[in-house]
Amino acid sequence: MFRKTPAFRAFFWIFIILIGGFVFLPLLWMINTALKPSAETFTLDFFTGTKTLENIIRIVTDEKIMGYLKNSLIVSFGSSAMATDVCAMAAYSFSKFRYTGRKFIMGLFMMSQAFPQAILLLSIYLLMQKMGLLGSYWALLISYVVFTLPVGTWTLKSYFDQLPDSLIESAKIDGAGNLKIMLQIVFPITVPGMISIAIYGFVWSWNDLLYSMTLVTDTAKRTLASGLVMTFLGEASTNWGYMMAASIVAAIPVTIIFVFLQRYFIQGLTSGAVKG
Amino acid sequence: MKQGIRQHRLTDAQVGFLLVVPGLAIFAGIILYPFVSAIMMSFTDRSMLTPDYKFIGLENYRKVFADPYFTKTLTTTVIFVVFSTILPFTLGFIWAVLLNQGFKGSEFLRGVTLVNWIIPGTAIGFLWSWIFNGQYGVLNGILTSLGILKEGIPWLGQTGTALGCVVIARTWQMLPWYMAFLLGGLQGVSLEQVEAARVDGANNWQVFWYMVLPSMKTIAVLVLILGAIGNLQHFDLPWTMVQGGPTRATTTLSIEVYTTAFKNWNMGKAATIGTIWAVLLAGFSFVYLRQVSESE
Repeated sequence: MFRKTPAFRAFFWIFIILIGGFVFLPLLWMINTALKPSAETFTLDFFTGTKTLENIIRIVTDEKIMGYLKNSLIVSFGSSAMATDVCAMAAYSFSKFRYTGRKFIMGLFMMSQAFPQAILLLSIYLLMQKMGLLGSYWALLISYVVFTLPVGTWTLKSYFDQLPDSLIESAKIDGAGNLKIMLQIVFPITVPGMISIAIYGFVWSWNDLLYSMTLVTDTAKRTLASGLVMTFLGEASTNWGYMMAASIVAAIPVTIIFVFLQRYFIQGLTSGAVKG
Repeated sequence: MKQGIRQHRLTDAQVGFLLVVPGLAIFAGIILYPFVSAIMMSFTDRSMLTPDYKFIGLENYRKVFADPYFTKTLTTTVIFVVFSTILPFTLGFIWAVLLNQGFKGSEFLRGVTLVNWIIPGTAIGFLWSWIFNGQYGVLNGILTSLGILKEGIPWLGQTGTALGCVVIARTWQMLPWYMAFLLGGLQGVSLEQVEAARVDGANNWQVFWYMVLPSMKTIAVLVLILGAIGNLQHFDLPWTMVQGGPTRATTTLSIEVYTTAFKNWNMGKAATIGTIWAVLLAGFSFVYLRQVSESE
């Protein structure tokens, strides 16, 4: 887009180095610290000294932290699956059905992320307490669906909008019922969209701290984010190498998903907000 | 349910409505009910420590507005939101322009950049607490060994620098998000028009100012508003890095509501602060919705 004039070249190299350093060095420093033996944690060595998996091994053999990891997997997969279903049904309805109140409900869904989470949390907490769900995964499973609701519904709606109505009409003429049309014709065509929404939901649930700190009172049911915060904050002397190793373990699942499904993910990230 | 939505029993309108019922139920249970009930709670002296509570009118609001800490919280929130939106937006824009040049490895860099955004806020908070650590942090290590500082600064331990540190961590986290949207915007700029302008003798700066910027306006405004809404809600980094401290230096509205409710168990007051906060957010959201409907 821009010509490689000397001025542009200078601009290019200055910012490639400055922003590139800012973007990439911190994460490398995290990996570097995690791989150092405890005695060398405080040295400034950058991938030059001895390397050891000591910290990583301590984390993956720590039953408490592996328990948090398992909880995170259960909650994230569960809520992501729920959110994808809920969004797909709603999006299909918004796209292909006409009924009174449709626009109003669409507006409600669109707004759902604009409510301050912390204030909702007050009453969600009391509600879940009353229902006796604070000790289970359910409080989180249900609450996390909301994170995906606006983006998920809008992204999938734009997929359904591209489906020609004639496809559905001809299936009807062939005698297919609404359920059959939805499950066997409409949903399979929009699988890429659903994958991107499922990933979106997974990442949100995996990374959430505020809800998981509050809505799970049973220590054994904590997810990784809140479990790590509870483990490391308030410790008198922090073992930084161990803490960085724990951070890496928490980051790996979402990173792997992202690496393999990047294409879908960027689609899910950008389409919902832009297409409106 | 399977029986219920057979076509011969229900009209299409009914089927359509049934399909949104799950979403609507979750919206009602997790957003609408909690929101309304929190607003009502703000007129009571509800506390988690005693089961009884009573209606006290605007007493909570009077107390909150009379509280000098509340003004401080508002100022902190505004500073945090402004800088944590502008900084990553600017850097993300420059980064997008560079990566959009399509050099060898630019695709790879784009992918790796997004990792910062995808990893948990908890991990990012830990990482930056470590970098800014006053005793052994790498920032102090570099600055002292270069002779810029005589001795390390407790970046997160003093009120003057803590908020800045959190803003930098937030900038690092969100830069990829702005980059992704703005790259999308840049790819929408018509290359043919740019070429045509080149033929007419336009230089880089003119191309940027008269062609790129105008066509990026919609997306830029959208990400700025969305980014500000996100920052107004943000909790993870100020909490994992400094828990709102030192001496409230990083206490934003979300931290304040959380600690008032779940550390001091004063639900009525927390609901009051939350309601005031929701009014602020509603302003932003209104602008956002108007932008979205205009761009459609």
